[in-house]
Amino acid sequence: MIAAPSNRRRSRLLERVLFWVFRIGTYFVLLCATYIFLDIGIKGGRTVFTRTAPFVNVKFLTEPPQTLYVFDYQGKKMELSDREFREWKTTHKEDVDVTSVSYSAGGIWPCIVGTALLVIGSMTLALFIGISCAIYLSEYSRDGRFIRLIRVAILNLAGVPSIVFGLFGFGLFVIFFGWNVSLLSGWFTLGLMVLPAIITASEESLRAVPQGLREGSLALGATKWQTIRKNVLPYALPGILTSSILGIARVAGETAPIMFTAAYAMRDEMPWQVSHWTNFFFQGVMALPYHIYVVSSKIPQNEYTERVQYGTAFVFLVVVMLIALTSILLRERQRRRLSW
Amino acid sequence: MSILSENAPARRRRITTESAIKAFFGSNALVAIVVLALITIFLFRDGFGFFGQNLANLRLYRRAGLEYVDIIRTQAQTHAALSRQLGDIRMQESRTLPSGSTLEAFDQFSAAFSDSGEFLNALVSDANDQALALREVLIAAGSASAVSSAEAQPSETAKPTAPVDPRAAMIALRTADEKFAKIAEGMKGKIDNLLAAPPVLSSPKARQSFEKWKKKTRDYVAQFPVVSQRLRQWNANEPVPAYRAITAFLFGRDWVTASFWQDWYGIIPLLVGSIMVAAVALLLAVPLGVCSAIYVSEVAARGEKSLIKPYIEFISAIPSVVLGFFGIAVVGQAVRALSQMPFMKWVPFFPISERLNVFTAGSLLALMAVPTIFTLAEDALRNVPRGFKEASYALGANRLQTIARVLVPASLSGIISAVLLGLGRVIGETMVVLLCAGNRIAIPDFTQGLGAFFQPVHTMTGIIAQEMGEVVRGSIHYRALFMVGLVLFALTLGINYLAQRLVARYRMSIG
Repeated sequence: MIAAPSNRRRSRLLERVLFWVFRIGTYFVLLCATYIFLDIGIKGGRTVFTRTAPFVNVKFLTEPPQTLYVFDYQGKKMELSDREFREWKTTHKEDVDVTSVSYSAGGIWPCIVGTALLVIGSMTLALFIGISCAIYLSEYSRDGRFIRLIRVAILNLAGVPSIVFGLFGFGLFVIFFGWNVSLLSGWFTLGLMVLPAIITASEESLRAVPQGLREGSLALGATKWQTIRKNVLPYALPGILTSSILGIARVAGETAPIMFTAAYAMRDEMPWQVSHWTNFFFQGVMALPYHIYVVSSKIPQNEYTERVQYGTAFVFLVVVMLIALTSILLRERQRRRLSW
Repeated sequence: MSILSENAPARRRRITTESAIKAFFGSNALVAIVVLALITIFLFRDGFGFFGQNLANLRLYRRAGLEYVDIIRTQAQTHAALSRQLGDIRMQESRTLPSGSTLEAFDQFSAAFSDSGEFLNALVSDANDQALALREVLIAAGSASAVSSAEAQPSETAKPTAPVDPRAAMIALRTADEKFAKIAEGMKGKIDNLLAAPPVLSSPKARQSFEKWKKKTRDYVAQFPVVSQRLRQWNANEPVPAYRAITAFLFGRDWVTASFWQDWYGIIPLLVGSIMVAAVALLLAVPLGVCSAIYVSEVAARGEKSLIKPYIEFISAIPSVVLGFFGIAVVGQAVRALSQMPFMKWVPFFPISERLNVFTAGSLLALMAVPTIFTLAEDALRNVPRGFKEASYALGANRLQTIARVLVPASLSGIISAVLLGLGRVIGETMVVLLCAGNRIAIPDFTQGLGAFFQPVHTMTGIIAQEMGEVVRGSIHYRALFMVGLVLFALTLGINYLAQRLVARYRMSIG
């Protein structure tokens, strides 16, 4: 059955129109995301970068958050941070009409440190457990009911909402174990949350190592563990680590699980300022994502707060996106190179 | 022989190390199961005490006569609502008139109407105080172990110095039966008189609403005897059945906490909020995600493909809290500004008043769901065997026909499971809804039709994140939040399970 020419022309037109609809839909999504990046990039860039050398707002990146004091003094508008304001008070005795805006002066240094600590601890934990689990699944296990149960559990764990992980961490680590709001609680909560992603990625990399490498090693009389250690893990590890970088982006980006397990809205001491080294693990920290939540919901939006809001969002977005970009680029490269 | 026997201990040692290593890895593999079990256990452990406490809470509500007072209060509130509607009608009328002078008759009418409820309001406030005092006594007597969150607040009614007999207090409260009957009689007379001589309205729209109002008012007056009857039949000692603790949670339409009156823990407003936000998000994300999946896998050139795919993956890494912040800073404003534009006047519920609403949150969540749907749907499309496509081309179908008739049907279950997983992600997402959904705990007004999607709501994830930090550990409120978490957990597990079932079936059908 050959369609009539007019019919064929119409169907070709329809095809072209629909393909354009698909194209527009796709680019619309990309455009929306680009707009977000640009908006935060431009408005946040104003806070983070400066026109004069060293071109980076060092103060914003290296100081703790402070309250901003705004007032008129002799016809001049003064914007002073908490510390500056107290110094100013010692030299100027007169009363001024002050408006104070929380969190809007100073910087975000403790948040950066806190996020880094949370990521390092939870990723160490997740990688350790995740890789071990993946080794068992791909090297030791035979298909059976037990293994299927583990796989179902991993799949379901991946779908548990992050706020439920937060509740769980709060119930188990914070209250039941009595660790309170602390780094340790945050590490475990975040580590367990990202575990399914790490297991899946690691298993994929382990399975990509050709069977011949294992068989050769075993044929030479090596034990199973020697084979894994010498002939499987070294080849799989680069792949495991690359895929795990995306896990880092997720751990760094989540707010809900740390809201009641690890994050403080404000803390004056830095994490290393502890009386005893064991206290290091039992202290809450400030974190970038939680700080964004606090400054965007707990204080009003105006010209003074916008600076810190956009600045924090910018720094956070850049950090997370750089991690994600590294992961995606490395993986693309690896896919091209690694075809055994 | 001798060599082997010499080495036997060494070999045995090696074997035990080997099995120890295996056991070590095996135990790590168990972690996933253990964590899943622990999540379930801890949600249940902290959540299940809720029902007992809620039952005590509900029993106290009845025994202290709060329920009784609420029957009368509803009447007073209906009256107040009718009064307010008169105000709205006045607005409609005054818009058509150049000056307000001719509205005098109507003003008199509405003033008289709102005055008619005077005694009813007084009765409610008296009964209110009596019931609260009685509740204090009952709590002090330890008859109810319910620790309501209101108890922690300094109560407005002074604690009775001399112990009051609860029974006497209840009898005192019950005198409201008679009072209500009398007041209702009086109100009926007044309102009937008023309705007999209604003011004349000029604007047709106002007249129409006034007719509606009159009908509502007649209904209101007509049901006074029924209410009176209900008051008389109400019994403080009637037992509250145990299942009420569960139904009050699952079907409760109010989530009221830390109130001086009665705390309610009903999940419906939160569930409705979550579902509405998810519906908006999926409505936007499914077409966009599937469109782009088809475009990338079938239409796009190779160079385009290698750019779009990583970029969309890149989008999925945007932290949700940044999206939420962007919603507050930009999207909310933009949506409201758009609704105020003159050319959008034709939309009945525009302009909207709240910048943070279901739509704002939903549209941002859509951006989070698109990468999930895109990645999985594209996978499903790519996994359709080459032969299917080739066969279709060989039969003379063009690309569009091949996509619509062969590729999409063949990968349909994969696409549906992608949508389901996207739904799971959207329902469980916290920060965007916490920041952008407006956080008003109420079921939206569905009489506005689609306008309901432009009203603020609160969601299950949002309420946990917002209230968990402030509650007293072990209190009923704390446990209620864990119950909400449990519902959320069960919901996402169900969605996940469905998606997995679909994928499993789809693999078999292709294989």
